[in-house]
Amino acid sequence: MKKTSTRIGIGIIVALMVTYSFFPVYWMLISGLREYESLFSSISLVPGPFSTASYTQLLELTDYPTWFLNSVVVATGTVLITLVLAIPISYAVTRLEIRFKGAIVGTMLYAYMFPPMLLAIPLYSIFVDIGISDTLLSLCISHTTISLPLGVWLLWGFFKQLPFDVEEAAMVDGCTRLKAFFYVVLPLSLPGIVTVAIFSFLLSWTDYTFALVMIGSDSLKTLPAGLDTISGWYELQWGELMAGSTLIALPLLVLFLFLSRYFIHGLASGALKG
Amino acid sequence: MRGDRSLYILFFLGCALTGVLILYPAYYAVQLSFFDADSFISTPVWVGLENYKTVLADSEFWSALIRGIIFAGTAICLQILLGIGFALILDSAIPGKIILRGITVLPYLLPTVVVALIFQWMLDDHIGILTVLLENLGFEEAATWANSPFWSMVLVIFVSVWLWTPFVTVCFLAGLQSVPEEMYEAARVDGANAWQRFWHITLPQLRPVLLVVVLLRAIWMFNKFDIVWLLTGGGPMHGTEHLPILAYRKAFDAFDVGIGATISTISFLILTIAILLFFWRFPIDERK
Repeated sequence: MKKTSTRIGIGIIVALMVTYSFFPVYWMLISGLREYESLFSSISLVPGPFSTASYTQLLELTDYPTWFLNSVVVATGTVLITLVLAIPISYAVTRLEIRFKGAIVGTMLYAYMFPPMLLAIPLYSIFVDIGISDTLLSLCISHTTISLPLGVWLLWGFFKQLPFDVEEAAMVDGCTRLKAFFYVVLPLSLPGIVTVAIFSFLLSWTDYTFALVMIGSDSLKTLPAGLDTISGWYELQWGELMAGSTLIALPLLVLFLFLSRYFIHGLASGALKG
Repeated sequence: MRGDRSLYILFFLGCALTGVLILYPAYYAVQLSFFDADSFISTPVWVGLENYKTVLADSEFWSALIRGIIFAGTAICLQILLGIGFALILDSAIPGKIILRGITVLPYLLPTVVVALIFQWMLDDHIGILTVLLENLGFEEAATWANSPFWSMVLVIFVSVWLWTPFVTVCFLAGLQSVPEEMYEAARVDGANAWQRFWHITLPQLRPVLLVVVLLRAIWMFNKFDIVWLLTGGGPMHGTEHLPILAYRKAFDAFDVGIGATISTISFLILTIAILLFFWRFPIDERK
């Protein structure tokens, strides 16, 4: 039996840990829902009085719906490009007789360490040259430069663990390599693929640096860049900005609620850049 | 084997695209650093090592480098200490572990822009809840801290620690599961107390995890651009301006693209040398 004093001590430490981690998120949620006057007159830790005025103001005055759509398009595009490229590369590296395997995976890891500005400056310059600067496509491509090395690294570890006999048995039974891949390997490696998809999505959805460099037009901004732009507007107050923050964070919180298993697994395998 | 050819084709296509997407831009950045380009559309002029001479002779570069090292170094140490602490708490016998783990991971999910705004709101000079709290604790100058380079550095470090500690926590928590329970049992029989068990069993067992986490966090903190840019923009009085911000300002504010690329290349070289030294000093695979 533990002593009561130890228990109380642990209880206090846990309470501090939870407050430290959760309070800023809580403050964001309730500030966006607070009535305008009370937001500035009192500092009460209890939520309310409630009002959705901040949300209606935000949606009326800004391009939030457009930015939301842009974010969805860019994030989905990034996830698709990443999966289409990362799956064959990492599968081939584990299964085929390829020279310089180590060098390929090593290069991927090295690329994962590039400073964002090292990539952003030349990429922007290249996009200007080929005429796709300031487009959603250019942002998708920029996000892929980070999510692809991550995807190859994670999936490489995953495919390596899958026993080779399963697909070999399928191939002995007359499947081609591609068929064996689609019917046997792919379903078995779904958890790994979901992890890569989640992290690519998260990376693209939360990115600010590349969005700042690549996108100039207001109508093409993604949510983080858009929120940063309006944070300087004098018509908008903290209530609206916290409402805007909540709208960006909410999809991620919901995603996390349902997929936390994959998320924690990916994080523990050294996944996310941040 | 049948069908291998299509896989080879997919593989080489994938590698080629990766090369175009990642290696070419990096190569192009290094190349740009040997040119004088005063905008993104003008034709660059070859200047050899001129950009490097300019940057290395510039005191702005050196102070930005030192600020970057202070920022990254302090933030990493605090993240590691706090992360280990949280992991140990979450690993001990407490009720509601899974929910607690979820809550401690939460900050990591939030976009940097959102985190920067939340902290700016909490530190608003009139009615920010943290400002009021600090004032009540006796720091009457708290509302003016945004004008102080020192407190701005404290702020960017604090927010970085809040945002990225969960990464350390989760990695350590995963590592703790792999420490065999018998080792603790044996130590308990020998009369080791909790601190001795941590120091002589947990830490040595977690050494490989610790090395990888320190390395990854060091790389990412040294390259970090967004949180500093959003919180302080490098100010006040360049007080939080480190190399990524200096590179951005040169390339996108002053349109001195060549200099921006040179700063990025130098900071990447420094990082590469640091990584090699780290691997040389702490070989990660020594256990095998």
